[in-house]
Amino acid sequence: MAKAAAIPAGVAAKADSHDHHAPPQLKVAEPPKELEREPLVLNNRSLTWITDAIAGVCEKPMPKWWWPAFILSAGTMGMMFSLIAYLISTGVGVWGLNQPADWAWDITNFVFWIGIGHAGTLISAVLCLLRQKWRTSINRAAEAMTIFAVACAGIFPVVHTGRVWFALFPGYLIPFPNSNGIWPQFRSPLLWDVFAVSTYGTVSLLFWYTGLIPDLATLRDRATHKVRRFFYGLFSLGWTGSNRHWSNYEKAYLILAGLSTPLVLSVHSIVSFDFAVSQVPGWHTTIFPPYFVAGAIFSGFGMVLTLMIPMRALFNLHDIITTRHIELMCKVLLATGSIVGYAYGMEFFIAWYGGSPYELYAFKNRAFGPYWWSYWSMITCNVISPHFFWFKKLRTNVVFVWIVSCFVNVGMWFERFVIIVTSLHRDYLPSSWGYFTPTWVDVFTFVGSFGLFMTLFLLFIRFLPAISITEVKAVTPQADPHHPLGGAKGHHH
Amino acid sequence: MNFPLFFKRILAALACVGILTFATARVLAAEHAEAPKAVAGQAAHAETPDAHGHDAHGHGGPDSSDIVQQFGYSYLTAFMFVLSLIVASMFFILIHHLFDAAWSVPVMRIAEHMANLIFPWGFAALLPIIGLALAGKLHPWMPLTDWSLTPTAAADPSLAVKSVMFNKLSFTVLLLGIFGFWAWMARSFRGYSLAQDKDGAAIWTRKARFLAGWGIFAFSVTVTVAVFLLMKSLQHQFFSTMYGVYYFAGSMWTTLATYYGITRWLQRKELRPVILPNHIHDLGKWFFAFTVFYAYIHFSQYFLIWNAAVPEETFWYVLREKGTWEHMGFLILFGHFFLPFLLLLRIDTKMSLNVMGPMIFWAWLMHYVDMTYNVMPVLYPKGLNITLWDPLCFGALVAVFGWAWLKDFRAFPAWPQKHPRLKEALVHHEIPKAGQAAAHH
Repeated sequence: MAKAAAIPAGVAAKADSHDHHAPPQLKVAEPPKELEREPLVLNNRSLTWITDAIAGVCEKPMPKWWWPAFILSAGTMGMMFSLIAYLISTGVGVWGLNQPADWAWDITNFVFWIGIGHAGTLISAVLCLLRQKWRTSINRAAEAMTIFAVACAGIFPVVHTGRVWFALFPGYLIPFPNSNGIWPQFRSPLLWDVFAVSTYGTVSLLFWYTGLIPDLATLRDRATHKVRRFFYGLFSLGWTGSNRHWSNYEKAYLILAGLSTPLVLSVHSIVSFDFAVSQVPGWHTTIFPPYFVAGAIFSGFGMVLTLMIPMRALFNLHDIITTRHIELMCKVLLATGSIVGYAYGMEFFIAWYGGSPYELYAFKNRAFGPYWWSYWSMITCNVISPHFFWFKKLRTNVVFVWIVSCFVNVGMWFERFVIIVTSLHRDYLPSSWGYFTPTWVDVFTFVGSFGLFMTLFLLFIRFLPAISITEVKAVTPQADPHHPLGGAKGHHH
Repeated sequence: MNFPLFFKRILAALACVGILTFATARVLAAEHAEAPKAVAGQAAHAETPDAHGHDAHGHGGPDSSDIVQQFGYSYLTAFMFVLSLIVASMFFILIHHLFDAAWSVPVMRIAEHMANLIFPWGFAALLPIIGLALAGKLHPWMPLTDWSLTPTAAADPSLAVKSVMFNKLSFTVLLLGIFGFWAWMARSFRGYSLAQDKDGAAIWTRKARFLAGWGIFAFSVTVTVAVFLLMKSLQHQFFSTMYGVYYFAGSMWTTLATYYGITRWLQRKELRPVILPNHIHDLGKWFFAFTVFYAYIHFSQYFLIWNAAVPEETFWYVLREKGTWEHMGFLILFGHFFLPFLLLLRIDTKMSLNVMGPMIFWAWLMHYVDMTYNVMPVLYPKGLNITLWDPLCFGALVAVFGWAWLKDFRAFPAWPQKHPRLKEALVHHEIPKAGQAAAHH
């Protein structure tokens, strides 16, 4: 909704030729001082400073903390793959799944990671279409996070089938012509997930890579080692920064943004169908698709804040990822957290309104049954904690914001756990009731998925520009010929 | 613009919608005919008192031959239509302040005056609905209740469980309270905006943001409750968590189309100094976005109910698949989504009055069809039945509300004169090349 006068990355000159101003007779006053917008790059930084600051992160030797962090993450990732090998060789019984809770941590983890994978494409595509210039400082890392989160998510539904070779070969998930005429169940939302997630992952990867091309060329041109120059040169696809290149780039970026936007909505809507198409009380509710999408954006932004706040501090990027960026992300958390809160309330309201005793019991059981602790953890983290962000003082306190962002991550995991486990563990027949308890394999497989995520993220900041150099430059005053400091008029540091 | 070609295309598009609407209905009817048992099962359920609003004892159902009820349902349909414009305008103002938006400043007065139609006109228009409802001429459950909060409809369990909300007292008090709150909120927002016209002080922006902050929560709850009471409760047995969002999505769609039309009209008059092609394009984009959002919401609601096939929910759609209601359903599918979606995809069509002019009227027609689809099957379960009351009620309400809006618009400055984001709104740089030409013609 909010939109400033916009110049898309790299087309400042083009936009200039279409410039329209208010008629000269209309005198418009400047906004009051206290309502002026803060700049998106602080301290009037020059274009060279921006290039040095961002490219420097992956050009200079990594700081001392990087190797221990990488080894720890890679070790945790190794643990996950070992546990998956154990599961495949032994059977899904090593997890705590059993009747009536046939789904528990596996699908919880899947939905959790898919949700986190939403923020990147949302920031890149939806905010790009809405011309939200503040996205430029955070979109690259968020896009990377999307891809890594989708990789983490993809593991769980495949592995939870037990005999994964059936999932990947003709049978459960992949349609494959075969002599026995065995086809997947096309009416199952789990199969729709396969297509939705793989399409989303592919387009997100393309989007991320397209945006990287001009920056990879910058790294190529700055590279001092021939191996680095070769690889950056290879992946920058011969980019020279010519007008034709920029024109094609802008078109491709916009088309991918247009394609990605419905994908952002579709993926989590289809994930919500995994539950909502059923008749299980607590799962079958019509608000699930938009509620899941809002929840995914909520959790995605939570993770972006969890990662970006330390990254900003560790690489001294305060002038590029400013307090304004953090504040705006807090507001997104507040908005999406409120939508999620509306959905929680609506579910309870309709459980009462509908008059179905089963539906009402499912929700009472959520809040006051054996899993009450998970429900109230979810409410505390997702509904209550974002409301601290009504206060500017708290939005601008980065330590506090980081803590709340961690709460959001925890809360969104609990949300999926609550939806899945509390709806399943008490069936229509009390004789079928049960209580799900995770095994150590459940717990450490999930912990290990964070290892995979962090390993990929650490490699990303090591070798690729974690912030889009070209797009950040496009939102500086220098890129705006109408700004008092625009073009070559100002003195920049 | 090649007008003959253009009109040929529009006619072709409308013909496609018509063919798809009727052909799809025919195909499905043929499919249903092949499975008489399944249909009989569904129909049997649909014929139960629940589906048509009768209580368990068969009384209290609407009577389509009763002229007062005919008027009541037509009036309610028209009222829900104009209420859409008011409710969506309120939301437009709320998010404008919450998001600190700049682009929407030039059209804010359009929204502020539209939201303020809630008082006295919205109130006045609500009174006949309350009167008709209390007289038992609208909501089939009303005769089963009284002025107390205690359960009085034990014979209908689905009504008994929510008797706190579904009784004469709650119905009246809740609706009057909600409309009163909306009136106060709309009046406050416009008051802050007009006060800022005089001094340009930041305090008015701060006050508006504070009100918008908590107002958005109150707004979402009150819209949901109002829509449940006014429209959904015509079949109180039906429940869908999406219903409030569904009404909101359709309302935003129609309202954005209306803003587009008003802005184009005033672009050469009162709003000439502040409306740039980019504002037109922005409104067109939002219109397009809500075309998709409405379809997403309605599809999700329908799909999940259809797929789960729980009789307590499906009866609502089963009723709407009978007779000509099925055609209306397909008209919504193709006319509310596919036609505008395909026409609005391009930048130049969003800027072209030749396309958007008819599209605005089409959006009004489709939203009216949508409201009819929600309200009328309760009174006319066998199919669409148009009476003289329909154009009379719609025409009268639109005329009164339109006149009231115009009176307000003429009485105050046409745009927020000293809005802190006005300057920003007037320096839109990025204007689509194709659209610029279209906007000037």
